[in-house]
Amino acid sequence: MSVPAAAETKRERRRHVLDLDDFTMQEIDEILDTAVSMKEVLGRAIKQVPTLRGKTIVNMFFEESTRTRISFELAGKALSANVVNFTARGSSVEKGESLIDTVRTLQALGADMLVMRHGESGAPYLVAHHFHGSVINAGDGRHAHPTQALLDLFTVRQRLGHIEGLKVVIVGDILHSRVARSNLWGFTRMGASVTLCAPRTLIGPESFWKATWPDLIISSNLDECIRDADVIMTLRLQKERMEGGLIPSLREYSRFFAITAERVARAAPHCLVMHPGPMNEGVEIMPDVAVSAQSVIEEQVANGVAVRMALLYRLSGE
Amino acid sequence: MRYLIKNGSIIDPARRVATIGNVLVENGKVVQVIDLADLTVAPEPLDEHTEVINARGAVIAPGFLDLHAHVREPGDEHKETIETATKAAAAGGFTTLCVMPDTRPAIDCAAVARQVRDIARRRGLVRIEPIGAITLGRAGQTLTEMAELVEAGCVGFSDEGNPVADAAVMRNALAYAAMLDTPIMAHCEDTRLTRGWGMHDGAVSIRLGLPGYPAAAEEAMVARDIALAEMTGAHLHICHVSTAGSVALIRAAKARGVRVTAEVTPHHLTLTDQWVLGNLAMVRIEGKSLQRGSPDRVEIGEEGLDLPSRLKPSLLPPYHTSTRVRPPLRTEQDVEALIEGLRDGTIDAIVSDHEPQSAVDKECEYRLAAPGISSLETALGLALTLVHRGKLDLVDLVARFTEGPATVLGRAPATLRPGSPADIVIFNPDSPWTVDPAKFFSKGRNTPLAGQQLRGQVMLTMCRGQIVFRRGNFGVGTGALQQASRLEGILGSENED
Repeated sequence: MSVPAAAETKRERRRHVLDLDDFTMQEIDEILDTAVSMKEVLGRAIKQVPTLRGKTIVNMFFEESTRTRISFELAGKALSANVVNFTARGSSVEKGESLIDTVRTLQALGADMLVMRHGESGAPYLVAHHFHGSVINAGDGRHAHPTQALLDLFTVRQRLGHIEGLKVVIVGDILHSRVARSNLWGFTRMGASVTLCAPRTLIGPESFWKATWPDLIISSNLDECIRDADVIMTLRLQKERMEGGLIPSLREYSRFFAITAERVARAAPHCLVMHPGPMNEGVEIMPDVAVSAQSVIEEQVANGVAVRMALLYRLSGE
Repeated sequence: MRYLIKNGSIIDPARRVATIGNVLVENGKVVQVIDLADLTVAPEPLDEHTEVINARGAVIAPGFLDLHAHVREPGDEHKETIETATKAAAAGGFTTLCVMPDTRPAIDCAAVARQVRDIARRRGLVRIEPIGAITLGRAGQTLTEMAELVEAGCVGFSDEGNPVADAAVMRNALAYAAMLDTPIMAHCEDTRLTRGWGMHDGAVSIRLGLPGYPAAAEEAMVARDIALAEMTGAHLHICHVSTAGSVALIRAAKARGVRVTAEVTPHHLTLTDQWVLGNLAMVRIEGKSLQRGSPDRVEIGEEGLDLPSRLKPSLLPPYHTSTRVRPPLRTEQDVEALIEGLRDGTIDAIVSDHEPQSAVDKECEYRLAAPGISSLETALGLALTLVHRGKLDLVDLVARFTEGPATVLGRAPATLRPGSPADIVIFNPDSPWTVDPAKFFSKGRNTPLAGQQLRGQVMLTMCRGQIVFRRGNFGVGTGALQQASRLEGILGSENED
């Protein structure tokens, strides 16, 4: 192996979006401001601007995804980029071709930006190391989902006017969640106070989290930590977690960790209910809450396109 | 051939000797060792058949004995062969490699053990001693023909990489091996706790979203095997100890007289899970005082990270697969406990756990990469960081590469005493060098140390009285045939450099 080059992710003009850990408060603000303009574009009769004309974006998805892939595709097209979707199931090893070979091929084909979803944590760093253009992480393993976190920040800022000082409670399968990790970076960086709430088997030791995020609050008592919350974000519970013995039953999980109307009533009156989707209604969130006035779940999806446009625009260096 | 190695710092832990002197080698044996301060001994006369090796400023020590190396032959010759592994060993100062049985086929019968020794005799630069498998095919079920394996030259038993999960099988293996007075070298890992593992289970794995390999997965197995060793009276040797908890368990077991020994690798003694973060480890987040518009993160120097050495993880990008090793790199607390264990004798030996991998096995997603570090050629330099940091005495370090591993095998330690086989390493404990895997003799270029500066390098290695490695033209001096002068040895002379 060659001697690896130093960080490509830091300083100067941003080339990649791999996680939110290297974003400053100012940069996040700028992206959210840009997303406001992009949202305005999407409200026009002709939802397209020529910003990325002649650029090629490849959506490289190694894992199933509907909303994120379509969202990126629409974002690229609204900016007039050539968007190509490439879906490969299973890991690169199972496919026989290595991830690096795939990336080299796409590079030879003229890709300017890669949007990638991959089941393995850290895979985008490997790709960024080998690809000459920009890499946007659209979700890697349990590690990060930075564009989801940005659209969540955007949604909260649009609805509540600010992020600083808010009490955000993230509930559910934290251990396996890339959404939780990226939102943790995003919300803490923007000055919100974050509480993680999960059964102990789905979060791991508190000290492991506090080493990176010292001000974090960790709880297994939803009724208690939901009090006065400004934002409640719940996460999808994968059915395999039960089979893996991490929770005794969906029934018990639901009783103690589902977002119900009674629980939402204990939060602040203006409290937003969020979910990155896809939802297991009746497990982590009750159907009536999902469609209640406090739910911004559909808005999150809609805002995703604007936020991704803002990111693509920023990376293009225009 | 006759060699006079002169004016070096002789460190011979087995004889409790550390002095400046000369070593004379002839016909594969050490003939004379002269302490330059001892005026009662007359040096042997020199003749034109004597090559003088000037070792001034360097350490002369018995050749290192590695209890734990993977040489990949037979079966995975694209990763390493006995020939390339022994070249790497010679360059690393090792004159004996005990090789793990995870070859293809496994060393689980006398025929394979003999084949390994045969290849080693024909193509190996240093000594090779096979370790036999505990169970057939390393499958954890049926014991191998251990007595015959010992007859064929096996010095221990291990199912390395496939820990024996069934406690009853392990109990029988220990009892049977006790009969043969041969150690069971246990890779301690409860694989049910490490399923799908990416790295050490801790703050970094949580941040990076990699499934964890908990310290408890090792410790639970160490505790089980100690209990079984105590019950059977067998000699249990714990491979590549990596956690503070394991050190404590082994220390307590030794204290109550259990026949347990232990080894540790240079990388577990010096590197931590921070290395998986790579350059992300440099960024520390300021928690509370977030002001709008102010920089909300600070770059800090690596010294500020309190890493257990001056080594720089920031040379690596995050998730670099060269940091993936089994057991995984642990925390700073573990590193400190391992060093303490090495100091107080809880841990007997430093081993390379040389695990060469091909590029395709490493150039992939982190969790899918084959674990292992190609370590023979960096072992000494990395271990010496402990000496340079004042954590370990140089003599103790040499002892853990020589006397300690010999004790594990139940044999008299290699020594420089006259009459002993001339297995000798000469190393400069201070010379700085930069690790460049492209220059490795090993086929395995997998190391997280690429580009790191280490201090201390092997200059010359002798096995059975033959020079098997020489860096540049080390030791070739002017006036080679001059009688070694005591004053020159102690004070130095102008024409030496």
